[in-house]
Amino acid sequence: MTIPADLKYTKEHEWVRIDGDTATFGISDHAQEALGDIVFVELPEVGRSIDAGEAYAVVESVKAVSDVYAPVGGEVIEVNEALEGEPELVNTDPYGAGWIAKVSIGDGQVELLNDDEYTTFLEE
Amino acid sequence: MTNLLKTPLFDAHVALGGKMVPFAGFEMPVQYKSGALKEYTFVREGGAGLFDITHMGQVRVTGSGALAFLQFVTTNDVSKLAEGQVHYSALLNDSGTFIDDITTYKISDTEYYLCINAANRHKDVAHLQAQAEHFDVCVVDESDDTTLLALQGTAAQAALQPLVDADLESIGYYKFAQVQVNGTAGIVSRTGYTGEDGFEIYIPNSMASEVWSQLLENGAEPIGLAARDMLRTEMGYALYGHEISDAVTPVEARLMWITKLDKGDFIGKQAVVDRKADGPKQRLIALKLTGRGIPREHYQVFVDGEPSGEITSGMHSPMAGGVALAYVKPEHAQTGDLSVEIRGKQVAAERTTLPFVRSNVRR
Repeated sequence: MTIPADLKYTKEHEWVRIDGDTATFGISDHAQEALGDIVFVELPEVGRSIDAGEAYAVVESVKAVSDVYAPVGGEVIEVNEALEGEPELVNTDPYGAGWIAKVSIGDGQVELLNDDEYTTFLEE
Repeated sequence: MTNLLKTPLFDAHVALGGKMVPFAGFEMPVQYKSGALKEYTFVREGGAGLFDITHMGQVRVTGSGALAFLQFVTTNDVSKLAEGQVHYSALLNDSGTFIDDITTYKISDTEYYLCINAANRHKDVAHLQAQAEHFDVCVVDESDDTTLLALQGTAAQAALQPLVDADLESIGYYKFAQVQVNGTAGIVSRTGYTGEDGFEIYIPNSMASEVWSQLLENGAEPIGLAARDMLRTEMGYALYGHEISDAVTPVEARLMWITKLDKGDFIGKQAVVDRKADGPKQRLIALKLTGRGIPREHYQVFVDGEPSGEITSGMHSPMAGGVALAYVKPEHAQTGDLSVEIRGKQVAAERTTLPFVRSNVRR
């Protein structure tokens, strides 16, 4: 299981990459592993305003439907449309090609963990 | 909560990376290391998928009254079974609704073998034993001693043949043979729940590990519950607790083909006759989403914008897309614009025919 050091994580197993005033969201390697084969991703609309902690996307595996929560608040500026045809990218490359959405960072954030803290959290 | 049961293959599942989950009172593998989709694909694309379905129950019925007994407690016409033949059937209660769906194996005129659902085992056995008092029969629950494996897919026969003393080629679809499996008596039937050619193999628990390992050595791959459910849903096969239950009769569930009203009296018959005359309260349909999304169990089905029923089994089929079985009001079985409510939105759907993907069983 990989936990890149340049990302922040939530206790709901999302990751966020903060780059200036833009944040990129996805789900962690642990999350995709626990969900199993992902067969559908419901993406948010570009332009939608989302609060920190709000469910902004849905990932569906063979057996389960799971909400994905926003680590920080903001407005959606881009979504990963490749997931509509290849939802399995979330499994195969959760921190890269399996990203879900980008937001322009607004107000608020949930508790964010660095890689060490997230590793400890997973071990607990 | 009582302790979950383990099949004799529990350790083998864990060693293969099986993700164990509670299922019908047992701890069973929902998937192995490669994941449900790869397992599904292996079975559909020419492999030999190996399933531990030991959670299912087996009941042996013996005695001079065996035929009369089974004619009375099951829906299908047991008098039509030849020795070595299997059929799909059901147990109904007096109100015509399902106690269980089963398969019946005819060993001889005085000996039959039933395969029943795990979750219904104790209910079924109690029912059968109570009814047996009126017949010259003996009903024995052999579930605890029996391991049941399914080997499904085009390569199944080649993987199984080296272990058995009978020529599998001579066993036709829904036929079985009492064979030696590695020198121990067992039953092999050309049956399954996947829509692929393949076998179900009944052996004593003492043989479970050995047979399991040898089938894997012969090229079989282990398949978990998630892929099993995908495979059966694509065929439109009913699953107790979903399409059938003690709330529906064979009329609603489209199972009149296993309910023979012309064979004489049986439990639930009058209620089924009445329901047929009055018309069903709901109808099972097969649907396919034309919009994006995955139709899932309990999602509401709408017709012409009004609620009509709900999904009993639904999935994302790699071959057919979003497909589901659903109960709708009888007047909506054939006509009206269908949609499925997914997270508050109406997603368009259309009626389709079963199976959702082509069956490869050997007819």
